Order: sequence, then structure tokens, then C-alpha cells
Amino acid sequence: MSATRSLVAALSSDLLQPLRISDATRAEIEKSLTRYPNRRSAVMPVLWALQLEIGWLPPAALRYAASVVELPESEVFGIATFYTMFNLRPVGRHHLQVCMTLSCSLMGADRLFRHLEKKLGIGHGETTPDGRFSLRRVECLAACGGAPCLQVNFDYHENLDEAKVDRLLETLE
Amino acid sequence: MRGPLLFSDIDTPGLASLEGYRRGGGYATLAAVVGKKPADECIEIVKQSGLRGRGGAGFPTGLKWSFVPKNSPRARYIVCNADESEPGTFKDRELMEKNPHLLIEGMVLAGYAIGSNTGYIYLRGEFEYIQRILDRAIDETRAAGLSGANVAGSGFRFDLHTHLGAGAYICGEETALLSSLEGFRGQPRLKPPFPAVEGLYACPTLVNNVETLMNVPHILNHGAAWFRQWGTEKSPGTKILSVSGPVKRPGNYEVPLGMPLSQLIDDLCGGMRDGMKVKAVIPGGSSVPLLPASLLDTGLDFESMNAAGTFLGSGGVIVIDEGTCMVDALWNITRFYEHESCGKCTPCREGTYWMSEVLRRLEHGEGRADDLDLLADLADNILGKSFCALGDAAAMPVQGALLHFRDEFEHHVTHRSCLVNRRRDGLSVVRPCEQAHA
Amino acid sequence: MSATVKVTVDGRTIEVPAGTLITDAAREAEVHVPIFCAHSKLPPLGACRICVVEVGMPKLGPGRLPVTGADGAPEIAWLPKVQTGCTTTVADGMHVRTDSAVAVKARKGVMEFLLVNHPLDCPVCDEGGECQLQDLAFAFGADFSRMADAKRTFVSEDLGPIVKKEANRCIVCMRCVRYCDEMMGDDALTAHQRGVLTEISSFNRQPLECEQCGNCIEVCPVGALTALPYRFKARPWDLRQHITVCPYCPAGCSVRLGVRGMEILRARGTEFRGVNQEYLCVRGRFGYEFVSSPDRLSSPLLRLGGSLAPAGFDEAVTYAAARLRDIAAAHGPQAIAFLGGDKLNLEEQYLFQKLARGVLGTSNVDARTRATARLPGDAILRATGAGRPSLTLDQLSRAGEALVLGDDLQGEAPYVQSLLILGQHQNGLHLTVAHPRRVKLARSKFGGEWLALKPGSELTLVNALTAASLEAGVPAGVPAEVGAALASLASALGSPEAGARETGISADDLRRAAKRLCAADQKAIVFGRAYTEHPQAAALVQAIENLGWASGALTAKRASVMFVGPQHDSQGALDMGLTPDRLPGYVDPADAAARRPFEQQWGAALDLSPGLSAPEILEAAAEGRVKALWIVADEWVKSAPDRARIERALERCELVIVNDLFLTATAKRAHVVFAAASFAEKEGVAVNCERRLQRSARAISPRRGARPDGEIFQAVARGLGATWSYRTPEDVFREIARLTPGYQGLSWAQLLPLGPQWTSPAPLAGPRIAPAIAPAAAEAGDGLWMLSGGTLFLQGSLSYRGAQLPKLAGEARARLHPDQAQRLGIGDGDTVEIAGSGGSVTLAATLDDAVPAGSVFVPYAFRECDLNRLGAPAGAGLRVRVRKTAAALVGA
Ligand SMILES: Cc1cc2nc3c(=O)[nH]c(=O)nc-3n(C[C@H](O)[C@H](O)[C@H](O)COP(=O)(O)O)c2cc1C
Ligand code: SF4
Ligand code: FES
Repeated sequence: MSATRSLVAALSSDLLQPLRISDATRAEIEKSLTRYPNRRSAVMPVLWALQLEIGWLPPAALRYAASVVELPESEVFGIATFYTMFNLRPVGRHHLQVCMTLSCSLMGADRLFRHLEKKLGIGHGETTPDGRFSLRRVECLAACGGAPCLQVNFDYHENLDEAKVDRLLETLE
Repeated sequence: MRGPLLFSDIDTPGLASLEGYRRGGGYATLAAVVGKKPADECIEIVKQSGLRGRGGAGFPTGLKWSFVPKNSPRARYIVCNADESEPGTFKDRELMEKNPHLLIEGMVLAGYAIGSNTGYIYLRGEFEYIQRILDRAIDETRAAGLSGANVAGSGFRFDLHTHLGAGAYICGEETALLSSLEGFRGQPRLKPPFPAVEGLYACPTLVNNVETLMNVPHILNHGAAWFRQWGTEKSPGTKILSVSGPVKRPGNYEVPLGMPLSQLIDDLCGGMRDGMKVKAVIPGGSSVPLLPASLLDTGLDFESMNAAGTFLGSGGVIVIDEGTCMVDALWNITRFYEHESCGKCTPCREGTYWMSEVLRRLEHGEGRADDLDLLADLADNILGKSFCALGDAAAMPVQGALLHFRDEFEHHVTHRSCLVNRRRDGLSVVRPCEQAHA
Repeated sequence: MSATVKVTVDGRTIEVPAGTLITDAAREAEVHVPIFCAHSKLPPLGACRICVVEVGMPKLGPGRLPVTGADGAPEIAWLPKVQTGCTTTVADGMHVRTDSAVAVKARKGVMEFLLVNHPLDCPVCDEGGECQLQDLAFAFGADFSRMADAKRTFVSEDLGPIVKKEANRCIVCMRCVRYCDEMMGDDALTAHQRGVLTEISSFNRQPLECEQCGNCIEVCPVGALTALPYRFKARPWDLRQHITVCPYCPAGCSVRLGVRGMEILRARGTEFRGVNQEYLCVRGRFGYEFVSSPDRLSSPLLRLGGSLAPAGFDEAVTYAAARLRDIAAAHGPQAIAFLGGDKLNLEEQYLFQKLARGVLGTSNVDARTRATARLPGDAILRATGAGRPSLTLDQLSRAGEALVLGDDLQGEAPYVQSLLILGQHQNGLHLTVAHPRRVKLARSKFGGEWLALKPGSELTLVNALTAASLEAGVPAGVPAEVGAALASLASALGSPEAGARETGISADDLRRAAKRLCAADQKAIVFGRAYTEHPQAAALVQAIENLGWASGALTAKRASVMFVGPQHDSQGALDMGLTPDRLPGYVDPADAAARRPFEQQWGAALDLSPGLSAPEILEAAAEGRVKALWIVADEWVKSAPDRARIERALERCELVIVNDLFLTATAKRAHVVFAAASFAEKEGVAVNCERRLQRSARAISPRRGARPDGEIFQAVARGLGATWSYRTPEDVFREIARLTPGYQGLSWAQLLPLGPQWTSPAPLAGPRIAPAIAPAAAEAGDGLWMLSGGTLFLQGSLSYRGAQLPKLAGEARARLHPDQAQRLGIGDGDTVEIAGSGGSVTLAATLDDAVPAGSVFVPYAFRECDLNRLGAPAGAGLRVRVRKTAAALVGA
């Protein structure tokens, strides 16, 4: 856990950097604010919009989100860390999220994950040095009928085995 | 035709578009009901139909609708629970992906019945692609005057929005879902007050599952008696069961409630894969106690399942084969709850951690003689003592497994190894704490 | 909710109000139901589950009649699941079991779970000995541990200078997070992650940006949050605990000092007692440090041959008495003036003025040394209801509408601010804050209305609110003469539109604010030194009285106007007659009948004419008319409004006596300095802003050479020939209670924490409704408005003398609106010179958009920056010129 600590310390310097957000994201954020009777409710859509643009949620993005939805920064931090899909550290371009829950496990998810670890040379929560892949174990993806399965970013891939996964990796730049 | 009701046209090409949906008679019910049939009558029909919630608890839907106060000066909301995170369950995903307009029609009708002008669909974060499908469908209906300021020219207003979660099983629990939707950490709230009385933004709120709401247009179209042609007296209608595990044809099946479990597995799913035998079945998502192979004739309806000591739950049927180590399977499930515990209450937060520690030991041949009693006692100390039902959901599988497969657990202690030949190699063991980000 | 219900807890049937929680009902029934996450100031949560009990209702048979068993007792239908006592309210006929097998197993189960990941580091935990988890494990836990697996571990961290977090000990009760939000309005803490990884921390683990109150530490039931300054200093069982009254503000919080030997090691709230219970602000928690400062005076000092030298106590007393006697004989008693004292205990305040009036015969007595204008001694009394039953702090937090006039409560009375935040969060209280700066309570997150008046338009604002209130007519329930007076006042006051022009607040906003105030059933008006120390104080306080009656905050029966004075015992000072024109109990010396008891008791004929007020004394001394000053518990050189004048006054006086703990700038000019005991070293009563009398205990004996002020007064009185023979403060209090209207009937034994409020069955002064008009006078100086006010981390002259508070306060800064700064070419951190009519000060600037353009804000109480050098405010205030100094250019 101390590795986490030093990482957080390193990232804190990011607070000083100005956050650059595209107009499209700004527009998306504005739109999300119209869907709820109060600003607070838009915190998840705002975080999503920022993550989609930046790839993860650096502290400056959380600060910005807090200012948009008019919530204390601490609270936004608490919200962002509660949900596992918000990335509080950078991830690779292709985020491989392998379901490890029972149905997938029964159908060989553990073997599949081990294979990916070996092949990519990274473990759970790690990113390849070239920033191409991140690997994560996740809980049930609601694709149990197509077990074992994984998501690459938001894309589902089901009924996998080692060979299929190898082919999949090749298609991912 | 894959099923009698919700699946009758599910694979029709183009169904996801407004045009395709309309081609099959879509939105006819909406046009016939909204502004034409009194709202109370709609609730009454749903009551008569005997429809019960498909999200897990099986609560009578019409009754829940009638709890929403009519004379409240506050806004009323309708929220569709599309969080579908119960392990083994993947029906809502297919339903929404292929037939988004049926959900929208169901929500507009439900909104009309309880007098709500705003609806939210809470999708689990992984369903981002479904959010896009639904958003497109909602835009279509708004453009066609089927939702928005003036639904089907009736003067009734209904605005519908999607909301994307971000990876938290607990947000399927209705009050946690509302917390999350309101922009809090997704932790459950005290009940009472129940959401029907004080839900979203402290306003009366109806929370229903996707499948539940999708039944509504059919029921209002054809009537309660028609709906009751399927199922049993107390569990009328059909249910979509998500079957996973090593069966020949896993997938979603719509069956009349009451169908024996064995029929589902043997006939519809084509039985087990080559050379495998059923050891146990989790009938209703990982939260319910499992049934051993000897009880496969149990009917797939709320009452029969209760009589067999388990629940129909969300209809996530996980088939476990003889080659599976029960200790390992239970450890997998328990890790899930440990990872998904929101951390609000002590029994669930600490109990799930402790139980998975004990199971880890057992699985690794480091178990002790009194570990089984300890495990049973820990489950008992969680059950009924946690803040929300997630704690119960973590405890019940443990109790079920210990009840039916105690000998296998004992074997782990006495022989320090598995009773079954483990089919799967190289378990790479993770502690959920390693899974955390940040 | 007046209805009561009957509940039976472990066989004991009691009656409690409907809506009572099971945990509270159990306490009534003397059954202990443990709690962790529940807290009396927070809404029910039900998260920790330690309070689980079995709950049942009588079984009902046909005709809804209770079914009785063989023994004739009603049969109970017990709920299948245990319930949390902290979230379940009782119902009539309910049965609760905490001792059944089911309840005991459930509780033990939770207890065991709480220890799963809790480290067994009690030997090195500061909480040890007062840890609720430890106590409960002792009471309810098992005597062995079944948990033999590895625990989840976190790394500990410092969250700023005060809070040490040991996350492994945390039981995730959320008290700290919720308290920080609900009570402090700071939201500095949050939960990170979830499940077993839930960890309490701040945004990105940064140091906490908050009031540094340490209440998170206080409410933490275990040792997860501990105080860095107290870390590893003591074991609680080695500490003697004494409950004192905080010396910093008029809220009157009870402070439990932990003492080992002669050393105070910490301060805590009292948990169940006092107005504050567990609450303390940062000053209450760390402000005691001055008591053990090495700079304390260790003996009286006498000026001999030009310099001050240590002297014996008797020597100093004899000298002081002789000089006072000589001056009175030579120039008349009116050449003597007594100043200060609102930091004294009530008994000492009484003795101080008795010495002046009864022994020396002077009525030049005034505690309000910061005042810039004369304010009648009964003005505040009338504005706050003349002794009628009045608003309590508890009622304040339950008010529907609270109007805060002029003060930044964060600096002036932090607990009052917290109660308003609590009320806003939990009781639907709506805030209206009239302040030129956007102070904390005016932030939008508290959902209130901010009346951002232009500096100098305070009086216009209050008058406009009164005018707007009266547009709806005179409120019902006011005495007839008040009604008539209000009706004619209405025609004398201008329209809200006129007020709008001057204050810069729209007439609509003014009307809305007035309407909310008038319409609220429970309402509150809060004001303090921003108005009483204003050059237009007399008119302002009159205007508040007008508004009180016009809005219904004052009625024949009740008063909902609260005076939050500048010091912890300012109310006592008013009550005890530390004003030139009123005797104790607001008795007018000209009223022969009312005066008589005092003359009899004191054995002296009293001077009937009003004495000089503090600003008048200052002037008279500077001009040589007043020749002797006795200044107590006040750093007058810094607190007097005009620096040049006070310097001259001290120079010219033949005799200056100072009682103080330290050799202050004032003491340095004195001829006699008495070393005084601190609040922790003496016993006595303080009267808080609710007019509540609370007794402070003596926690340690006085520093060697120092004496309580009361003893000093008695010694000098005896030196002057009086026959005073009080042995204890209680002796003095008995005399006060006998003589003082409003105090009659109060007894020393009652005056514990949360002691009684004094009230008077008959109002102590008649209502006075009159147009509140300030005498025409131009404000002093020109340029920017000089705004000042209290600040959280420093208060008065004592708070510097510790370690924590000055560290937290940082250096004094002049705060300017960014636009204003830009116009002046001033950047953040630049050194600026502020020049007023009387002189100038130099300090660093900070940009702050909470400060209105056209003004500069410098807080009071920074030692390095004496605002009274700028000259005394006059008219509607003080104006100054601000410019960047050359020093900034050379980077100094
Ligand atoms: C831990 C937990 C998770 C749940 N997850 C889901 C879910 O993913 N989808 C769902 O529809 N209901 C879920 N539920 C049930 C909901 O709380 C709620 O009962 C349901 O949405 C009501 O809808 P229904 O009456 O239509 O079934 C969950 C309940 C619990 C306790
Ligand atoms: S049982 Fe408790 S910790 Fe678990 S999810 Fe529910 S509230 Fe959270
Ligand atoms: S168990 Fe893997 S998708 Fe459900």
C-alpha cells in the first residue's frame, strides 16, 4: 500500500497543472447538468465525461468536477474512489477487464487471466510500459452465458480461450 | 420464437429501432392507455396480473405501485433498476440491447400509472453501449411524441433519462441505487421510509427491474387473465432465466414460472457438456443458497424455491459440475461479496473479509478442525444483522454450501486437499484488497 | 410531540415521549445499549450495528385485544430479525430485549467483527483507557479471539498539524466525516474506497483544509484519530480532569482540562455536559497553552526609579492602596477610572466595580475598552429582551430563521456558528447573514441569504429591515405602548427603497429577509461587537431593539435576540455593572429605592451621576483629567481605539495599575503590576451569551507569585480600609445573588456546566422604541473602508502565548478583493502600507474575493499589526489608504 502512497504523492503535483478540457467534453458536462434537479446528481456523468477525455481522473479533474457540481472536493474524491470503474491512476489505451466471478471461473477465467499475465508481462492493476494495455480482474460483467469473458474498455468479448484472446490482442493497437 | 412473451420477438431484426418496434405493434398499448385509461385502473390490472418483481425479491409489483402516495405535493419518480450485477444474471442486458423500446414503453406506462413525470434508467457502468442504445431510442420517442412534454397527445408529460453507474454491485440495491443517482457514494439508506414513500430526492419513487417493467405493456395490452395463462397461481407469468456454467447451451431462456429446474437444464440447455454431471445449481444468482443435484426437480417459481430452502432471486442459474471444488466455488462467491461490500455496516464489511480469509485457508489446505463451525457462525452473525441485504446475500451461499456439501469442507480440513480432482489449473489467487485502485 | 408511550426494556416499563429512539429509551430505563456510529448531534445512521436489540409488540387476537399467556402476561410477537436501537423509534406497548440469547449473540457477533481488522496496539494507543471499543470489548466481548488470520493494513498519516490518523484502528463509524459536515460545515474528511478497504482521509490525502477544531478526534470512539499535539503525552488515567469554562468566547463551552501534576496536557469537550457537550473549537482545544507559558509574571512589579522591579504582594498592595487614596484625596474620586474586566469571573467583576464605587467612590468604570463611542449600560439589555426568558443556544439551532448581523461568527463565537450550521442541516433553519464580506455562514452551501451591505451602511440596513417588517403592520402580542410606538416609528423610517440605495441590497431582498424573519415561528437575531464597538453603537443597538419588536423577535413574554459579546464573560460584565451608568443588575444609580440595597450592603453612599465610558476615560486621561487607571485583564494599549491617545493617556497618568498574566505593552507602562492567575487557576462563574451561569473549576493552583484577580481586589480594598472578608468566590456570589435583580434566587450549587439562565420575572427595563439616528459625523479618513473582525485562530491577547494557535494563524495579512488589488497594482504577497488618519501599519497582502472591493480587511488580534495605530473609527467607520510599499519592490 505504500507504493500507492508514493504514487499519490507524485500525482499531487498534478494539482498545480491547469486542466485542459475539450469543448465537446464541456458541452457533455453542461448537458448532463440538465438531466437532474440538482447539480450534485451530475457528479457521475461529469466524472465519466472527464475520464473519457483524459483516460483517468487526475486530482485536478476531481477538483474541476467538484467545482462543476458544487460539492466539496473531499466528497468528490470519496465518490470517485467508491466506484471501481473510475480510474484514479493512468491506464493503458486498452483496459483489459477480465471477469473472475463464479460462472467465468467455472469456464476457465483463471487460466485465461494467467495467460494474459504471462503474455503481457503485467499483473493485476498494472500497465505495460508502452502504455498499450492495462490488466484487471473484475467481478461479474453480466455476460456469464458467454463465459469466460472480458471487456476491453467498454467492449465485450465473450466465449474466450487463449487462442481467441491472442487474436484479440493483435487487433488492439 | 425463443419464449412466449418478452422473448417472442426478441431476435427480430431492427427491433431496437422505433420503426422496427412499431412494426410489431409497439407503442399501441401506450397510445391506448395514456390519457385514456384511468391511472388507478392500470395499477389494478397490474395487481390482478400477479406480476412480481423480477429484480430479485419478487415483491408484488401492483402492490408496490399502490404504495406511491397519490396526493403527495412532491414530484414522483420512476427509476428502472438496470444495474444487473448479480453474478450469473445477464437477462436485462439482452432485453435492453435488443428491445429498448419495450422498456421505454413500460416506463412511460408505469409513470402514467403512478403519476410520475420523470424517469431514470440506472445502468451499471459496464453497460455504456446499452446507454447509447437507450439514449438513441429515447431520442426517437421524444421526436415521435411518445415521451417528453406531451405523450401521445394526451397532455401527460414524461421525461426519461439514463444514468451510468461505475462499477458497484451494491448500486443494484434500490436505496443504494438512489444514493448513487443523487450523487452520493452508493451506500444503502435506512428503510423505512421505503422508496415508494421517500425515495429519490426524498420524493415518492418507484423502483422496478428492467424485466418487471417490460412485462407491463403486455399486461396492460392483454389483461391480467391473459398474463396468468403462464406460471403458477402465486407466481404468474414467465421469467427469463440466465443459465451459465458448463451446460451445452448457456444463455437466456424465457420459461413459464414453475418449470422444473431439470427441464431447463436438460431440455432447453441441452444438458451438461460432454462427460460432465451436475453437482449443484445456484438457481437465483450467487446470493441464494445452492441446490444439490438431488433437488433439481424443484419448480422455478418463488414458492417452490422457498420450500427447497432457496430463492428464485434474479433468475441467474449457475450450474456447477462434479469437477468443481465446492470450497473453491464458495470462496469465489465470498470474494465477490467482500469486494462489493459497500463498507457501511460492520457485519458485512468485516464478516465478508473474515469469511474469505477462512475459505482461503480451507482451500489451501490450511484449515482447522473448528473452521467449519466458525464459518457457519460467522454467516449466522451476518445474516439478519447487516444494514442491507447484501450481507444476507453473502451469508446465505455459505450456509447453503455447508448444509449440502459439508463433507467436502471436512475433507479439506482432514486431508488438506480437495475431494474432487480439480479440473482447473493454476488458480491465481488474489486478495480483493489487491484489486483496489488508488 | 407531547404524547408519551410506554415501552418495556429488559422487563422495565417506562414512559417516554413518542419518537424516542430505543437507545435513548433504554438509557431512561437504565439499560446500557452500546453505540458507536450514533451521535446526539447527527441524524440516525444505523451502520455499526452494535446497538442491535430484540424488538417485539404484544400479540393481538380477535378484536385487536392483546393475547395473554398462561401467566396472564401479554404474549409478545418478537420480530424475526434484531433491530438497531439507534434508528428505531419506540411504539406504545413495545418490548425491547437486550439480554436475550438472540440479542446477546448478535451484539457479541458485531463486537467480534469490529475487532477483525482492529490492531491490538492498545498499549501504544492514546485512546487507551477512554476507548469505547476497549470498554465494550471488556463488557461484551469474548475472552479469546477466533480471528487468527492476517489483518488488512493501512499506513498511518498526518492530516495536517492537528490530526493524526491511524487508519487500522478505524471502525468506519463515519462520526468524524459526518460531524465535519453537519456541525462544522467543512467537509474536510471523506471515506475513500469501500468495503473492508474503506479509509477515512481527505481530498487526495492532503492536509485538512478546515477549522482544525479537532472535533473529529473528539467524536472518534476509538484511537483512529488522535491529536498530534497530545500524542504520547499521557495516559488518561494519569490525568486529573477538571471542567472549566472556555476563556475565549461568549458561547461558554465547557472545557475538560486534563492535568498531570501542575501541567495541563490537553483540553477536551465534556461529552455529556455543558452547552457544547463534545464540541470545542480550535481555541477551546488548544488555547489553554498560555497557562503554562514561561513568560508568565511570577510576582507583582513596582515601578521604582523609572523601571519595573519585582515586589512582594503585600508591598504592591500597600503601594497601590496608598496611591489611590492620595489621588482620590487630592483630585477627587472621579480622577480614578477602572477599566476592563470582561475576561474576569463574575465574582471578580462584581468586586472590581464594588471597589470602584463602594470603596473609592468613582463611577468611572467600563469593561468595554474597545468601544469607540458611549453606549448606555442598559442598551444591550433592552435589545435582548430586558431579562425576559430568552433564546437558548439549543433553540437557536432549532429556529426557522436566524438573522446574523455584522459579525463573522467563525471568529467571534465558533460554537454559535456550528449550531447554526447544524440547524441548517438538520432542522430546516434558514440563515440570513448581513455582512459586507462573504463570511463562512454566507457561503452558498449553507443555503442562506447573504445581505452583502456596503460598509458603513449598517445602521441603514437595520432600519430598513425594521421598515420592511412594519410594512405588514405591528406584530400581534406586543404590549400596547410598544404597538403605538412602532406605528409612529414606521412613519419616521424611510422606505426599504431608500435603504436599498445606501446598503446596495435591493428593496426586494430586504423585504424578503424581513418577511422571513417576521413569519418564522422560531426566530433569532444575533449581533455582537461589530455593532457594539461601532462608532454608531448607540443608534445601532437602538435599531436592533426596534427591529426586535417590529419583527416579533421581542415580545412581552420572550426574547429571541442574542448578544454575542466580545469576551467569554462580557455578559457578566454588563450584569455586574462594569458600565459607568448602571449598578449590578442594571440598577440605575439615580433610582433611590433600587440603589438602597447596594448602599446598605456596601456601607457607602454612591455617586449618583453617571461616570465616564471607556472612550471618555481615554480622552480624560490623555487630557490629564483622570489621573489614575486600574486596568484589568485587558491589553488596553492594543485594544483602545486610538493608539496615539492611549499612549498619551498612560504617559500622563500618575498611577497606572495593571492586573495581567504577562508583562504586556500596557503592563510595561504601569506603576503597579499585579501578577494574575489564569482561568484554569481559579474558581468562578462566567455568564455566556444565553445569560447562562456556569462555574469554572480550579484545575491547577495559581502560578507561583500570581493571585486570582478577586484576591487582589480584596487585598487593595482592605488596604483602603474596607472590611471585606470573602473567603471564596462562593461568598461573593451569595452577595451578588442577594442584591442583583435577575440573579435573585440563584444558588452556587446550581452553577455547574449547563447551569441556569438568569431571567427576571419583571423586565429590568421598559421597552424603548425610538428612531435610531446616528449623530452626523464624518467617518475618519478617506479611501478604502477598513474592515476588521475576529478570526478563528487568534483571539485577544492570550492566544499568542501558546504554540498551536499562532502556528495555525500564520502571519497577519491585509485581504483585498482581486479587482481592488489590481486597481492598486498590488499582487498576492506584496507588502502594503495601510495609512489612516492616525498613522499606518505595514503588512503583506492576500487576494480574497470574499472581501468587497472598496475595502480592505485585516483581522483583529494579530500581535504584529496594531490596527489602532490607524486612528479611531468615527462616523460610520474608518477609511484608509492602501499602497504597495517600496519594501515589496526590493523583495523584503
Ligand atoms: C445487494 C443487492 C443487489 C441488487 N441488485 C439488483 C440488480 O442488479 N438489479 C435489480 O433489478 N434488482 C437488484 N436488487 C433488488 C432491488 O433492491 C429491488 O428489489 C428491485 O430493483 C425492485 O424491482 P422489482 O420489484 O421490479 O424486482 C438488488 C438487491 C440487493 C439487496
Ligand atoms: S450489508 Fe452493510 S456493508 Fe454490506 S452492502 Fe449492505 S450496508 Fe454495505
Ligand atoms: S460470472 Fe462472469 S460474466 Fe458473470
